[in-house]
Amino acid sequence: MSSDTRDEVLRHLLAVVEIQPPVQQTGKAPYSWNITHEQFRAYTRSPHDVGGEVDVPVEWTEEHGEAWGYRAYVTTEVMAWRGVWCAEERRRMQNVDLGTTQYLGLPYYGRWLLAAARVLVEGRHCTLTELINKLDEVKKRHVTR
Amino acid sequence: MSHGDRDHHAKIATGKGDPQCFKGTADGPPKFKVGQRVRIKNLPDIFYTRCQVYTRGAVGEVAVITHESPAPEDEAWGHVDKSEWFYIVRFKQKDLWPEYPAAFANDTLQTEFSERWLEPA
Amino acid sequence: MSKKHDHDHGHDHKAAPMVEEISDFEALEIAVRELAIEKGLFTAEDHRRFTEFAEQIGPTPAARMVAKAWLDPKFKQLLFTDVIEASKHVGVDYLKPTGFGTPSDYTDVRVLEDTPTLKHVVVCTLCSCYPRPILGFQPEWYRTPNYRRRLVRWPRQVLAEFGLSLPPEVEIRVEDSNQKCRFIVMPVRPKGTEGWTEDQLTAIVTRDCLIGVALPKPGVTTNVKLQVMHPPGQAH
Repeated sequence: MSSDTRDEVLRHLLAVVEIQPPVQQTGKAPYSWNITHEQFRAYTRSPHDVGGEVDVPVEWTEEHGEAWGYRAYVTTEVMAWRGVWCAEERRRMQNVDLGTTQYLGLPYYGRWLLAAARVLVEGRHCTLTELINKLDEVKKRHVTR
Repeated sequence: MSHGDRDHHAKIATGKGDPQCFKGTADGPPKFKVGQRVRIKNLPDIFYTRCQVYTRGAVGEVAVITHESPAPEDEAWGHVDKSEWFYIVRFKQKDLWPEYPAAFANDTLQTEFSERWLEPA
Repeated sequence: MSKKHDHDHGHDHKAAPMVEEISDFEALEIAVRELAIEKGLFTAEDHRRFTEFAEQIGPTPAARMVAKAWLDPKFKQLLFTDVIEASKHVGVDYLKPTGFGTPSDYTDVRVLEDTPTLKHVVVCTLCSCYPRPILGFQPEWYRTPNYRRRLVRWPRQVLAEFGLSLPPEVEIRVEDSNQKCRFIVMPVRPKGTEGWTEDQLTAIVTRDCLIGVALPKPGVTTNVKLQVMHPPGQAH
């Protein structure tokens, strides 16, 4: 019923704030009956779906972007241009699949970049071994800080 | 991802654009009309959705019928063989948020849904 | 913090062998681009061409479309019936550079017309959807979870933080841009602009006006004044 759903929606918007990674107090995953319906929905929600969650007033800022971020953006768009994926596949991998912790913790274009790396492997355009070796080789050309 | 033919989208969309390339591909005419009252379905949102949880169960009015396109829940895995009609639905803010101030009773919000998310209210 | 390396360095397919400091993100960016090119997914030329396109986008085309619509009822009608055609009048070919548009921005742009009793403001709660070909790149605040969480539920508070307070009689309509449609706001033409040229009007329709968090004002040609954050070590 409509009003039950609205009640559930409003409880969800509070519950997502309370989700924390399981504390390893017992050393084992919880039983299913330890997870409420609100917690289940909060755990399995699409992390990008933040509309209506509680947050605080902030000082808004402009941001001067980083060059690698713009290059990553171009790479993802060029991949879509050449049919490797479409924008919606990118959004799924970039804004949902990676999970809440990475979603809220990584730089904006960092997620674009990880999604681009992901589609290379997921779309079987290269093996993970090839990506690992390439990344290792690039790092050896430089010194990563 | 977008398996197989990497030229597919360029073939269907060059010179037209996207979502224009999906015009005429939905199963029939739009099920809902401009001005119609609709409720947003609370389908399971496992793995991926672009139907925001904050809209679920809310009742609004169809403001615009926009275009045909594969639903994002399918397009997100490269499935573009089925299309749906898309609708911008307008809600009164006081119907979405219980604490929305009564002083601003005119305020509205509108957002877009593929047809699967709507039912008559 | 170590110095940032020259951004031109990254455009080469194979980097010259030199040892300098880069971040994990810079390393991954190089690896992904080189691997994609090696696997034939795209060419370095593709990357260069799209970079050129991305470097020249900005909010002037959208601002000029609003100014033209304020001055010319026929153009205004075109803007509301065929934005893609209208974009050509301000020098934007919406199908460029791929021939079918930019993959993330699509080609269905809608103009939200304000009235004295209706104010629109745009957000994408799910990501940061934005009509880049006519508006450029989004400001960082538009991408933040904070803006996306709060604008849909507490719009008047958020707008007040941008310096915009409106009386209760004005309906504030939030557009949550969550699918393929993209939006710009056409504000009400302000008083004090009678007899102005298209150039003069374009100058006061700022990016913030086109998103909806500001109103155009004679004499104001810049966005809402905010602190600008720079990555460490990077020059202005």
